Amino acid sequence: MRDSDKVDVVIVGSGAAGSVYAAIFAEAGKRVLVLEKGPDRKLTDLYSSQIWARRLKSGAPHVFEEGRDSIWYNFNAGHGYGGAALHHYGVWPRYHPEDLRERTLYGRGLDWPLEYDQLRPWYDQVQEDVGMSGDAEKEIWRPPGAPYPLPPLPVFEHGEILARGFAALDLRTSPIPVAILSRDYKGRPACIYDSWCDAGCPTGALANPLVEYLPRAVAAGAVMRSDSYVTRVLTDRNGVKASGVEYYDKTGERHEAVADAVVIAAFTVENCRILLNSATAKHDRGLGNSSGMLGRYLMSHPAVNIFGLFKEETRCYLGVTGGQLLSQDGFAKEKSKDIFGSRQWEIGLGTKPNDLLGIAMSRADLFGHDLHDFVERGSRHLGAMVGVCECLPHEANRIELADRKDRYGMRLARVTFNLDDYARNLWQETADLGVKIFKAAGAAEAWHSPPGGQHIMGGTIMGKNSNTSVTNEHAQLHDVPNVIIGGPSVFPTSSSVNSTFTAHALALRSARHIAEHWSGLMT
Amino acid sequence: MPLNRRNFIRQSGLALTFTVAGRTLLLTPREAYSRDVPFTILNQAEVDTLEAICEHLVPGARENGVAHFVDRQLSLDPNDSLLFIKCFNVEPPYQGFYQSALTAISRTSKAVYGESITRLDQDSAVSLIESLRDGNVSGWNGPPPPLVYHALRNDAVDVVYGTMEGFADLGIPYLAHIEPPRAW
Repeated sequence: MRDSDKVDVVIVGSGAAGSVYAAIFAEAGKRVLVLEKGPDRKLTDLYSSQIWARRLKSGAPHVFEEGRDSIWYNFNAGHGYGGAALHHYGVWPRYHPEDLRERTLYGRGLDWPLEYDQLRPWYDQVQEDVGMSGDAEKEIWRPPGAPYPLPPLPVFEHGEILARGFAALDLRTSPIPVAILSRDYKGRPACIYDSWCDAGCPTGALANPLVEYLPRAVAAGAVMRSDSYVTRVLTDRNGVKASGVEYYDKTGERHEAVADAVVIAAFTVENCRILLNSATAKHDRGLGNSSGMLGRYLMSHPAVNIFGLFKEETRCYLGVTGGQLLSQDGFAKEKSKDIFGSRQWEIGLGTKPNDLLGIAMSRADLFGHDLHDFVERGSRHLGAMVGVCECLPHEANRIELADRKDRYGMRLARVTFNLDDYARNLWQETADLGVKIFKAAGAAEAWHSPPGGQHIMGGTIMGKNSNTSVTNEHAQLHDVPNVIIGGPSVFPTSSSVNSTFTAHALALRSARHIAEHWSGLMT
Repeated sequence: MPLNRRNFIRQSGLALTFTVAGRTLLLTPREAYSRDVPFTILNQAEVDTLEAICEHLVPGARENGVAHFVDRQLSLDPNDSLLFIKCFNVEPPYQGFYQSALTAISRTSKAVYGESITRLDQDSAVSLIESLRDGNVSGWNGPPPPLVYHALRNDAVDVVYGTMEGFADLGIPYLAHIEPPRAW
């Protein structure tokens, strides 16, 4: 494909959402070009090492973080084919119906422009496509949906020990729903439970984009172009339609990819940065920003890791990174006058000695021989789980352009993020409860981490009203409908569940709809 | 295409490319240390400071090649960097952070304890590290001390515990999908 060749769709980003759009549009007969700012990656590049795994995370362009709380941008974002989904843990619970109607039900947060029943078939389809493992009956909090195609993952000592604590406090647990194969599925092998998920799964047992939707896209004729750094969306003279994107290749040479439609699926912050940098005389505040809401309602899950040392060997280095069990007891949002928001537990995290969520970092205060003694003991006896909390969407939490520029003269992103008191109180309650659960499980010592940030959402939220949202229910910009946004940046609320499954389901729903109504939607 | 364990066993571990006498060699940082491979980014004073503080942070860091590991990573594009500091969203390039941090540690050691970091006794070294960790270093002129503490501590943790040999020393299985060509 030459630069001058017009395509039907150019897709910016090859992660969770971009890969789905690429597959569905290509299978619908569209000419698809995928531009990825990072390198080509293959399964054989995914070394089993927490150290090497850092190649999969973003290092540049830099994002300036302001405010009291961090969204942990580099840790959450990805770089290269597969994007952030290449190093994600594959924990895939569904959003609950009430997550999509928060404003109506609670007078807080926002409503989505669609309800759970409209999303449900797409969750079902995605889980069938990728092969999810879980136990729908035991997952008592799960919204309606088709049973998982595969049985749950096994539970090892680590999960069994921690489950005792939940049971002692009359809290329920279930097998964790994951996009990881418990049995061979569609030519992919079952997981071998060595817990290298966040280093990227080279066996294909974890459903990252390299094993499902990107191969489908390529098989259907999509063209992938790595090391292609997109700077802005180009529009026609009237500013009514997008005409393609501007990008730079590895050598720094400028290109234009001409297309009938543009999908921006470059993860939350970059989605907003590209649109803000695409300002023209017709769109002087950025493309898709007539409402002034572009970049607004940034969200991240406040998370707390709970750790403990047990008399028994936990073998915490086994299993999968994202945990062996789930509990959504405590999901109900209205907890007290000072605490609002849902919560879930991911229990029995696969934990290695090093890295941000590793054994050594669990006691970041220790060093020298004290640290060595702790790491030795922790390698055999550590228990770990994470409590994930909801944060409400607030306009003031936002993604903007910084004054500093990247090497192509485009302004970098600056984010401002402050958790409200509801989220802070929820986080503290979760931290205290987690320690209590560990002690009930028999931990000799139990403690919790400082606040962390999991997942990054919002910024291009979807809504029915073009004055208060950026995209419609199919993730098209209200202002320029042939620009479609992929990924969790379109979420109007955060829930407390992991975002990747919902990003897939939304992308699949939108891609099918747009492919079926192509001519009408693109004019 | 999905792969199985047998057909993708290949090199990884923490073998990095180092240039020695004009030749590019694939070495672990530990091997680079034992061969005294020249540094490309850090000067000798910075290397000495880095090795000394990391050895106090995690015993074994020096001989496991922490300085060679950091030096090599500082020469790379930030997206290719394996440094833990990347997780903390520090603005690249990271060279300035390390050089400023190491200079500040060296100055603090001399100013507060009257001795080079390379010759500090154990009690003084512990006191210096605690002041970094707790963010109360008097006269500090460098990146935020707790950030320096976490960055250097995790570099040391990486080379001591985060490798196949580190796992073996801890007595836990590494379980690599993609195995290294030789023991760390």
